[in-house]
Amino acid sequence: MIRDITGMVIVLALAAVLITAMPRQEIPEELQTVGLHYAENGVAETGSVNLVTAVVVAYRGLDTLGEVVVLFSASTAVVLILSLLPVGGKASAASPVVQLTARVMPGAIALFGVYVITHGHLSPGGGFPGGAVVASAFLLVLLGSSSLPGTSRMLTAVESLAGLSFGLLGFWGIYSLGQFLNNNVIPGGTPGQVISAGIIPFISLAIGAKVASELSGVFASYRNKGGKA
Amino acid sequence: MSPGLLAAVAVGTGLMMLAAAVAALLVKKLISAIIIVGFVSLSASVLFFLMNAPDVAITEASIGAAASTVIFLWGRGRIGGEE
Repeated sequence: MIRDITGMVIVLALAAVLITAMPRQEIPEELQTVGLHYAENGVAETGSVNLVTAVVVAYRGLDTLGEVVVLFSASTAVVLILSLLPVGGKASAASPVVQLTARVMPGAIALFGVYVITHGHLSPGGGFPGGAVVASAFLLVLLGSSSLPGTSRMLTAVESLAGLSFGLLGFWGIYSLGQFLNNNVIPGGTPGQVISAGIIPFISLAIGAKVASELSGVFASYRNKGGKA
Repeated sequence: MSPGLLAAVAVGTGLMMLAAAVAALLVKKLISAIIIVGFVSLSASVLFFLMNAPDVAITEASIGAAASTVIFLWGRGRIGGEE
């Protein structure tokens, strides 16, 4: 009880600090030049209409590669730890509502996910959100199925290939233009078209495939080792 | 949406999240707490959307609201207990 109250007081005090401090913050103008550069020249330099994706995949592509590595290590650790547990999940039938939903919806959800991945440079989204949506379609399939998924070699293969192609696309930049992950190894094309924006759509595809297969693998091992939902 | 209405909806969503989060701590049944936490995530996704971050909203809806709720449910099935 005393711990609860102490925690509550600390949280409220922090909230008070945040609420009173944030409006006072002044950001010097010389620190905003990078953002200004992205906003003014982003479309011309990368060909990506969606500037968020231009920053995430092109300007800060190396950070995204790091994120992919972090997600890979995390999912590997989860699957490794879960593989040590005895099988706990029981094959059991879901309720009719869940079964029907799991039969009708996953196709539409996966299609939306693929759209989000392939149009990352045109509309909000990209590899990470789209891959997560595709994986959640797989999760719905798992929820409706009465049998345990087991392990899949194909998921591992897709995951490895996607990670490999992200890295190779990066090295292509070194060989042809002397820069890792240089976006302009492919001509930018017309901004607004699906095939445009240099290698951004291809990197989005690699990230999407990697995130989708990785999360699906994690969900499958949770289903194998978890109990009845 | 006008800025005033937008701010009102955002603040309303935020307050709803706060109330739901407190409720998740107080409810007795574990499964209710899991569903309420899922609702908090879904509201967060709405909030991200209102704040012009639709890509973050998509991620939050699929990971935060869908995936973590289901994983909590499976975990609850494994420990097999209430409260």
